[in-house]
Amino acid sequence: MNTLVNLGGIVMKNPVTTASGTFGFGLEYQTYVNLQRLGAITVKGTTLKPRLGNPPPRIAETPSGMLNAIGLQNPGVERVAEEIMPQLAALGVPVIINIAGDTLEDYAQVARRLDGVTGVAGLEVNISCPNVKKGGIQFGSDPFTASEVTRAVKSATELPVIVKLSPNVTDLVVMAEAVAGAGADALSMINTLVGIAIDVDRRRPVLGNITGGLSGPAIRPVAVRAVWQVHRAMPLIPILGMGGIMTARDALEFILAGATAVAVGTGNFVNPRATLDVVEGIEHYMKEHSFNEISELVGLAQRDINKE
Amino acid sequence: MSQLLKAEITDCQETGPGVWVTELLAPSLAQAAVPGQFIHIRCGEDSDPLLRRPISIHAVYRRSGLVKIMFQVVGQGTTWLAGRRDGLLDVMGPLGRGFTTLTGEQTGTAAVPRLVVVGGGIGAAPLYFLLQELARAGNAQQVKVLLGARNAEHLLIHNAVKLLGFSVGVATDDGSAGYHGPVTDLLAEELQLKLDYVYACGPAPMLKTLCGMLQYAGVPGEVSVEERMACGVGACLSCVCRVKDAGGMETYRHACVDGPVFAAGEVVW
Repeated sequence: MNTLVNLGGIVMKNPVTTASGTFGFGLEYQTYVNLQRLGAITVKGTTLKPRLGNPPPRIAETPSGMLNAIGLQNPGVERVAEEIMPQLAALGVPVIINIAGDTLEDYAQVARRLDGVTGVAGLEVNISCPNVKKGGIQFGSDPFTASEVTRAVKSATELPVIVKLSPNVTDLVVMAEAVAGAGADALSMINTLVGIAIDVDRRRPVLGNITGGLSGPAIRPVAVRAVWQVHRAMPLIPILGMGGIMTARDALEFILAGATAVAVGTGNFVNPRATLDVVEGIEHYMKEHSFNEISELVGLAQRDINKE
Repeated sequence: MSQLLKAEITDCQETGPGVWVTELLAPSLAQAAVPGQFIHIRCGEDSDPLLRRPISIHAVYRRSGLVKIMFQVVGQGTTWLAGRRDGLLDVMGPLGRGFTTLTGEQTGTAAVPRLVVVGGGIGAAPLYFLLQELARAGNAQQVKVLLGARNAEHLLIHNAVKLLGFSVGVATDDGSAGYHGPVTDLLAEELQLKLDYVYACGPAPMLKTLCGMLQYAGVPGEVSVEERMACGVGACLSCVCRVKDAGGMETYRHACVDGPVFAAGEVVW
């Protein structure tokens, strides 16, 4: 059985990674997860300078989901490259670093700094963070700016570049086409959906940031639909699918819709072993249904469905 | 070392109005836990409620491998938990940084330090485990315990603490038991005499007042805070608490790994 996948130049021994921001820098989960069993580790959004993040409360639980407004708290690219990457590189697992910035130049500088750092297998460009005032989603809601960011990062690095798309747009396919046209090697989708929760007793918003990003099983059908639509329109670009994956069966929905790889996000909080359960569950499914190559499953649910 | 484990529920009882104590058979947890740490409990099998609930460890019996948690029913998760009388509980733990249990040498002043332990409302829950440890260390006669509650009915651990051999002062908001007023007034009396260390857990306004008093009196101590938490392991960065670092700069620390116990002088209220 072959579970090896190639996500736009990032070679993963199985299709399972972690969703940025839900797995820290990986090391936080070492007690629970044999990190070497993962296809890749995608780490917390990294910016040029350290960021403190948003004032608390930063999360709110919602039906089968949660809102978060962390605000890209991170130690900055220098510490990630110098202190964290050496520890992660020792694991021998591809590391995907999610990068974010306030300006085009920020993205390019972070990308340049990480180019050639041992252990970094690829970059995931965050143009869809809903929780920061500048940058983030601004870059991800306009096809022109999204393609500019993609170009800036591509020209600053030799590493494979994945662009993470926001579902908070009118037409995700337009965004996907724009960033693919600008040279993205792969796409990841979806980032969180913007939401608000109100504390009825206090008569105030729950989150310090007022709005937050919705994640968890509540968004899974939206995410599967996004993967389906983009894969249908652009079958050649690899997709990293995510949104509410808790189990292998959830992950398989994404793969069958057209995702080459999948990321477990909020599921890690519920079950710290969720990533490994998904890896093992996919292997079990392949064995049970006699699939030798994981690639046979990618987009399989779309077979024989006519294009309108 | 923290673990993901299935703990057997051996008992579950309501011990106060809406306050429950669940007893778990979890020898590895009992061995590893220190006072002030918490366990992260999955409340249900499906995705609603989604997130685990962090609940502080209330009591530990190492020889029998038993661990107790005490919690107030406030929402979906705790309602579910209070309904579990047997079976297995999906638990991560022990997690977080707990209280520093001081010895005389560490304070450098008294041979046996004079300590005050202050609990407000459900905040008394983790303090019982701390007092178990202090009793084991044989410091019982130097410890004063102060407990505050809304009324007599809501007083939680005072009888159990007396059984450990500690002297207990009680304050209630309505005067139905002990001193009529905030528990911090009782602390003010204790601060008249020399104190080495104060431990506290309770509602934020109480802790804020208490930290101010300690700073004014120049007495060190530790407080256990509560924040909304998701992962419990320092990955999601949700449960931030604003603190002053060594250089006096304000920054965020995480209640799950840097806390929930922080130095009293460190927290910015």
